[in-house]
Amino acid sequence: MQELYGLPKLRDSLSYLYVEHAVIEQAGHAIELWKKDGRTLVPAASLCVLMLGPGTKITHAAVKTLADNGCSMLWTGEEMTKFYAQGMGETRKAYHLLKQAELACDPVKHRRVCIRMYQKRFDEPLDPELTLPQIRGFEGVRVRRAYKKASEAFGVPWHGRAYDRFSWGNSDPINRALSAANATLNSLCHAAIVSGGYSPAIGFVHNGKQLSFVYDVADLYKADLTIPIAFAIVAESKENVERRARMACREKFREVKLLERILPDIDEILEVPPEPLDESKDVDSDPALPTDLWVDLLEESDSPL
Amino acid sequence: MMTIILENVPKRLRGELTRWLLEPYPNIFIGHVSARVRDYLWEKCKKECKNGGVIQAWSTNTEQHFALRMEGNTKRSIVNMEGLQLVFIPENTVPTHYTNRNKKS
Repeated sequence: MQELYGLPKLRDSLSYLYVEHAVIEQAGHAIELWKKDGRTLVPAASLCVLMLGPGTKITHAAVKTLADNGCSMLWTGEEMTKFYAQGMGETRKAYHLLKQAELACDPVKHRRVCIRMYQKRFDEPLDPELTLPQIRGFEGVRVRRAYKKASEAFGVPWHGRAYDRFSWGNSDPINRALSAANATLNSLCHAAIVSGGYSPAIGFVHNGKQLSFVYDVADLYKADLTIPIAFAIVAESKENVERRARMACREKFREVKLLERILPDIDEILEVPPEPLDESKDVDSDPALPTDLWVDLLEESDSPL
Repeated sequence: MMTIILENVPKRLRGELTRWLLEPYPNIFIGHVSARVRDYLWEKCKKECKNGGVIQAWSTNTEQHFALRMEGNTKRSIVNMEGLQLVFIPENTVPTHYTNRNKKS
């Protein structure tokens, strides 16, 4: 069955599963969720993100199974309102990460990435001479316009993106729906980023946070996906908005084939060719195998080490 | 594509289903029918399953690419976890680490 691990791709996956108050164990080659009255089987290889909420316990064997199957693990707060920790992604190559770092460190290339991100989001040309703060300014205006448009379309009053991080229930329903929808989107973008071998921390428009690149990538889709979803479900009812927002996200993400798009979109923005340039940049079959570098050094060097 | 799985139902119902579907294995029926026939067969199974159970699965355009429903006395049940349909197995015996939880010895 080993070869089968390579077959499931991000684009074929089920988007997310949020679990709380359960024990997660290995069962066969997948995992199962134990609750008081019984267990639920989860096909781990076809799952993209497993979000562990409060009250979850996971066994060592279950973590190994999830890692083998390339399923991202996120440890989150109640209703996914906080992000505590992540598991490792599936990739074993550094090629994409090096490319990302190169683009982030060179000011000219960095600005070009920001401009490409803007164009991807709003589909309009931008003066290539613009400075970073100017691009961010343009973006802010466009995002505020997207909120206003959705507010008018669904008849939900909008007073700005404001919520109290320490008192979740006191925020207005639309802000809670937006947070829940964005958390789902962020978790998928995070899974795509680590699965593609990029770093979540090296951002372009966003900067300096552990998840900067996640926010960058998620922003590509917010105006089209999560903002209309949040307004639509609040227009429908003000009950249970977080859960309904997540379910609406699952449906919408399937409709627009989001999982199929994220990685190619990242490659496009970073101008990464779809195939690695040479075979040394290929995936290692064994992540613990020492690289050729040491062997080469010993062979080429005349001086005894 | 649609599948119907029967558990402990009257023989008559099995006979009825063979009119539309193939039975490659006892109590498992497969076939490709329209949504209307699918619902019709479902109603029929529900009505005639007596003390048994019935499970229906069919291809559709959800994220999982299929949907499931169960009725009657089936050994397993379906849980809907925010739009994802998963199979739940009721167990009388719970793992020891669960029962020992919060217990001071």
